[in-house]
Amino acid sequence: MWIFILRRLAVLALALLVVSFLVFLIPYVGETDPVRALARARFGRLDLDAAAIEALRIELGMHRPLLVQYLDWLGNAVIGDFGNSYMSREPVIEQVWSALKVSIVLTLAALGFAFAVAVPCGSIAALRQGSAFDSIIKSLNQAFVAVPEYWLAPMSILVFALYLGWLPSAGWRGPESVILPALALSLRPMGYFTQVMRASMIDVLNSPHIVAAHSRGLSIRRTLIAHGLRNAMLPVITLFSVWMAGLLGGAVVIEVIFAVPGMGRLVYSAIVNGDLPVLQAGLVAIVTFAVLINTLTDLAYTVLNPVVRFNNAAA
Amino acid sequence: MLVNQTIMQHQARPEVCAPVLEVEHLTVGVPGVGAIINDLNLTIRRGEVVALVGESGSGKSMTARSLMRLMPSGISILNGSVRVCGDEVLSLSEEKFNEFRGARISMLFQQPHVMLDPTCTVGAQAAEALHVHRHLSAVEEHERVLQLFRDVGIPEPEERMKCYPHQMSGGMAQRVMIAAALSAEPDLLIADEPTTALDVTVQAQILQLLDRKRRESDLSILLITHDLSVVSAIADRVAVMYSGEIVEQGTTQEILRNPKHPYTQSLIHCALLEADETGQLYAIPGNPPELLSKVEGCRFRSRCQVAEKWGHPEICSRLAPPMVEHGGPGCCARCWIGAPNDMQVQAIKICQSDEEGHRDDC
Ligand SMILES: Nc1ncnc2c1ncn2[C@@H]1O[C@H](COP(=O)(O)OP(=O)(O)O)[C@@H](O)[C@H]1O
Ligand code: SF4
Ligand SMILES: [Mg+2]
Repeated sequence: MWIFILRRLAVLALALLVVSFLVFLIPYVGETDPVRALARARFGRLDLDAAAIEALRIELGMHRPLLVQYLDWLGNAVIGDFGNSYMSREPVIEQVWSALKVSIVLTLAALGFAFAVAVPCGSIAALRQGSAFDSIIKSLNQAFVAVPEYWLAPMSILVFALYLGWLPSAGWRGPESVILPALALSLRPMGYFTQVMRASMIDVLNSPHIVAAHSRGLSIRRTLIAHGLRNAMLPVITLFSVWMAGLLGGAVVIEVIFAVPGMGRLVYSAIVNGDLPVLQAGLVAIVTFAVLINTLTDLAYTVLNPVVRFNNAAA
Repeated sequence: MLVNQTIMQHQARPEVCAPVLEVEHLTVGVPGVGAIINDLNLTIRRGEVVALVGESGSGKSMTARSLMRLMPSGISILNGSVRVCGDEVLSLSEEKFNEFRGARISMLFQQPHVMLDPTCTVGAQAAEALHVHRHLSAVEEHERVLQLFRDVGIPEPEERMKCYPHQMSGGMAQRVMIAAALSAEPDLLIADEPTTALDVTVQAQILQLLDRKRRESDLSILLITHDLSVVSAIADRVAVMYSGEIVEQGTTQEILRNPKHPYTQSLIHCALLEADETGQLYAIPGNPPELLSKVEGCRFRSRCQVAEKWGHPEICSRLAPPMVEHGGPGCCARCWIGAPNDMQVQAIKICQSDEEGHRDDC
């Protein structure tokens, strides 16, 4: 087991190393000279002469070989120093950390809600295949998956915040401000989760061990709870982690519309403003989290599925 | 309640007790399409082992699952009656019938591994029938499963109870299934090829175990197999199934020594040749008809070599043969050759009038 965890951590470190190098390269792949871009962001001027640019380059250490610069950058990054934001002049790491916390709360709330709805709805739809309930769930899923966020988000603000006045319309102050954006964010994954839960539950219901459990006199409901749910939930958990990693930095539309100060908005504005240090730190944070979640999912899988558990223990 | 108890005690006396299983005219199939199991009649008395034999695809497993009312979706019981110790069970609600499953009728399956939930310990699964049928305390339940595991020959039962299915061999998994199936002391065990997927040495052990349980607790067993050596070892009676029908029934001795039905004769012929290891296996030429298809006349006709030599093969192709009793008690075969003379004469007449009708048409 510990060997399994150590191995996963080694993979995680390796993945981060590769990603960090790619992220480090970002300023160098564009058409513009990174020193010139920095100068522009810092002084707000385009007409700096070549001598001033070279002076700045040496001041920043950017005349050194790329690999040396990378190691320098990596050494700082490891201790959390990604430099200061071009815009706010504040340390990047603080901005990223606070955005990350916001995004984790938002994503967990959205996906947790989606999961909590999908598991029972998908199960019941599977049990009553072809029933009215099944058809309703199916149409809802299709609607949820198809509705674009840029329509859903303003509509929900209109209804729940402006018309009904139940919830704050935007911003990030207190638990009630989480509800609307989390709900809006949850619909699409909820649609997918429910579909996958239904399909995997149908699979599980047709599997022989369910027939065997039924042959011992367990009612359908009991068979389902004792032997169906755990098995059927495994694919949904995988999906959960995929969405978690995706939404952590990818809930841009929702975060922008609801004015949620999360990772999506942070990275988006960093790109718009050419704020390279923020962009770099944001990307590293997102990738670190994605890999971490992946590892946690594998662990959850291990706990739920003894076959995997023993294979891992043996490895 | 008191009255009920007296009746039950009265019925428990062997001579008046109804057979453990009585199946009459059981027909199972796809509604509106056709039958898979056709007009099946079968009786199993207390402590009796009845073997159900036949080629693969003849509907043995479907019969077993129908008796448990666990048919695959789309298939339902179209007709007939099934009585367990005298109680009709086909008319019971699903909920009521759950009180029979695992408590009065249990089932063993061909592949013990896939029949166990991979995410659940075998101890917990073996305790399930006890849990739903006998409301014991957790400690009693644990003790009982432990005792069952010991009884079915699982070494280190305490540790094994905590194992997951994939940590066990096929033989051990089947022992777990047996412990689970017998935990609530059922009257009837339906064992669908319980040893086919196991190693030869393990096969013998499992059969011995079943035989011992039968003797110890008067368990009745419907043993599905295609292995005639298994049949001769432990079955009291044999039912031979062909293409969804029982074509012959009788005592094991009678069936193996003196089979009446041409299909049974071929089966035994095959088995004997196989035992002799003549190198080339004798197989009955041709294939059985599709289970769902309607066949005019005898379903074995296309493969029956005896009919050719018999005087009236045209009857076989035209009219379904009757189930004819002969010899010992409960011995019968579904073949025109053994049918009483007057029935044959009548059948011949029908065929002739058919032919004349045909000629008139021309
Ligand atoms: N869902 C189904 N729909 C229609 N026919 C089925 C279905 N399932 C099984 N069958 C029929 O039942 C036959 C299998 O019978 P089975 O009881 O498994 O035979 P055996 O156990 O004797 O090998 C198949 O050949 C098939 O024709
Ligand atoms: S009825 Fe005719 S075809 Fe069928 S088994 Fe008997 S002899 Fe053969
Ligand atoms: Mg079978």
